[in-house]
Amino acid sequence: MSAAKRVQQWATFARSWHIFDCKWQDPYESANIIKKYLMGLHKPIYHPMNDCGDVVVAINSRDIALRGDEWRTRAYFHHTGYPGGASWTLAWELHNKDPTMIIKKAVYRAMKGNLQRRHTMQRLFIYPGENVPEDVLQNVTNQIRQIRLVPTRLDQIPEEVTKTYPKVMDYPEDYVLK
Amino acid sequence: MALIRRCVPLFAKVVRIHPVTTQAQKIHRWVAPTLMELKRREKKVGGKKINPRNTFLEWNLEAELYAFAQRLNEDFDSDLLLQAFTDRSYVIKEEMKQKELEFDIKMKDNRELVEIGDQFINAYIQNYLEVVLPKFPMEGVKGVRKFLTSEAILANVSLHLGTKDIILAAEYPVDNFILANTFKAIVGALLDSSGEERAAHFVRDFVITQLQGQDVNEYLPIEDPWSMLTSIVKKDGTTIEPRLIGETGRNTLLACYRVGLYVDKKMVSSGFGESVAIAKEMAAREALKKIFGTEDTMKPINFKLDGIPKPTSQTRYQITAS
Amino acid sequence: MSAKHMFLKPGFVRAPLQNGIGRYVCQLQRIVLKFCKSNGASRGMRDFIEQDLVDFAKVNPGVVVYLKPRRHRGPVVVAEYLNGDRVWMSVHNKTHAEITKWIEVLRTQQGNNASTRLRKYQYTDHPSIQGPWTPFTHKLPELNTAELPNPAFGANNRLPMSATEQLRLMFEAQKLGEKSDDLKTAE
Repeated sequence: MSAAKRVQQWATFARSWHIFDCKWQDPYESANIIKKYLMGLHKPIYHPMNDCGDVVVAINSRDIALRGDEWRTRAYFHHTGYPGGASWTLAWELHNKDPTMIIKKAVYRAMKGNLQRRHTMQRLFIYPGENVPEDVLQNVTNQIRQIRLVPTRLDQIPEEVTKTYPKVMDYPEDYVLK
Repeated sequence: MALIRRCVPLFAKVVRIHPVTTQAQKIHRWVAPTLMELKRREKKVGGKKINPRNTFLEWNLEAELYAFAQRLNEDFDSDLLLQAFTDRSYVIKEEMKQKELEFDIKMKDNRELVEIGDQFINAYIQNYLEVVLPKFPMEGVKGVRKFLTSEAILANVSLHLGTKDIILAAEYPVDNFILANTFKAIVGALLDSSGEERAAHFVRDFVITQLQGQDVNEYLPIEDPWSMLTSIVKKDGTTIEPRLIGETGRNTLLACYRVGLYVDKKMVSSGFGESVAIAKEMAAREALKKIFGTEDTMKPINFKLDGIPKPTSQTRYQITAS
Repeated sequence: MSAKHMFLKPGFVRAPLQNGIGRYVCQLQRIVLKFCKSNGASRGMRDFIEQDLVDFAKVNPGVVVYLKPRRHRGPVVVAEYLNGDRVWMSVHNKTHAEITKWIEVLRTQQGNNASTRLRKYQYTDHPSIQGPWTPFTHKLPELNTAELPNPAFGANNRLPMSATEQLRLMFEAQKLGEKSDDLKTAE
């Protein structure tokens, strides 16, 4: 194979590293997006035998947002294999024990249950906060867009913006706020 | 009633559908044991005995030679054609046989025709390539010509033209060297029989078309593309700026880098690589391909030029040994 | 699965020796017709030889035709091609018309087509003109110099515009004495 063809193949099958910020995101919606990048479904060269999946680094997994009262009511099942080894753990308990488990289980559930699943899951790195190791962060060259809008906290808007923002109405000067 | 019932199958047409052209799904029981037994017998004798075609009962050398000429749509002088197919080894073998029988039929062998044909093929291909790849350096043109006139290519062409059965040689099956020589001899015979133009078209249609689908740049070896590129560009007075325009997985084994070359802030070419140095080298090679007019998106090589084309005096880059 | 492909050799759609690009060469090299002079099974074959064979040989001067009349043997057509394939075909009890058609099939093949399983139905030397896809093809160049994670690249940019933002834009548009072309939309 000539050098040009070798290099072209290297580039076409290169594995990219993507980063995804899980803050305020629903893990099950995000899992659908993340699984596409992990399996390589976003590439036109996709084939299940091709090993064309990319690496996804998920950060801020501690700040995920489950819907409704799922934190209180969703239970994760685990069986050790031994008799009497069934356990039902609620979402908030699991999250306290290991903040990366919920998003990991969500991505695992989103994928097809074939023999490639375990191998593909090894390409997913989850970090509970913003703290990512240097060498992993250096590899990352693309960011996956979130699904949900992260609402801006009112006390985190800078002062100049609040002062110059156009107002529809304003209280008169001598009005006393209760 | 009973009579009618019994007669119905006699009158009604019993239509059985036998599939005619579909293959049988079943492989018969006797197929595998038969093949195994045949293989055993072959091994015992020591390999398959393949008889050369000209020892068969249905063989007419004159008819084969005529058909060969007609198939290629060419006119050959029949003596020259027979001479082209006779190999030196066959002549030697015949002379040894004839010594014993005290015969004396002189058979001409194809050595002179091979030389004439070889010279013509090389000259014509050199000419053609110079016209068809006007900016390609001479070393590259020479490399492509060497590839096209290599023994493997000419032997392959010769095989697919049907010379394998007609060649008169001492041992069968014929090896590549004899096949390639036969092809050159045929070109020599055609040159003598029909003239330069017809021989030129023959070489063009069978040898030069082997370039179809091949990357011409493989036959131009460049050791240091970056220094070559800078020296070319220096003559015009501009500088090339290499920039890293993409990377994936820097700390991994599968790291991929993309380097782009810019002249006056406009991208000239880009290259990929396992490391930044390799990517820069490949980008330089791409830029050189564009200068030589042989990039991947070049216009396909024209295989329809008639006669003996004349190369125009265009500027070709000279790779001087520094 | 099925055993149909086991005796078939897999192959791609190719022309031997770039056949059409230079001149076209008929790939059939020689054809051997074996028949019996008296048996009924060779009747179609005999009719073909008597009526159509000479025309066939005139129209295809590049094909050598051999005739083998053999007693007590069934009629057979053996076609040999330039790439070395030999196609043996029995024409036992076939009519004159059928034999003509089969000989036409053999003439226009390039080798033993019946024993080749096509892996793909197309072939091209240049599968891509604009260049094969790479992960860099549609990537934004701004990502090269960005420090990831960056909310500019991470936030959803396909959400519909909120009411607050619409009002703000309306306000900016109707401001008096201000230029309307440097309107900043919050992203």
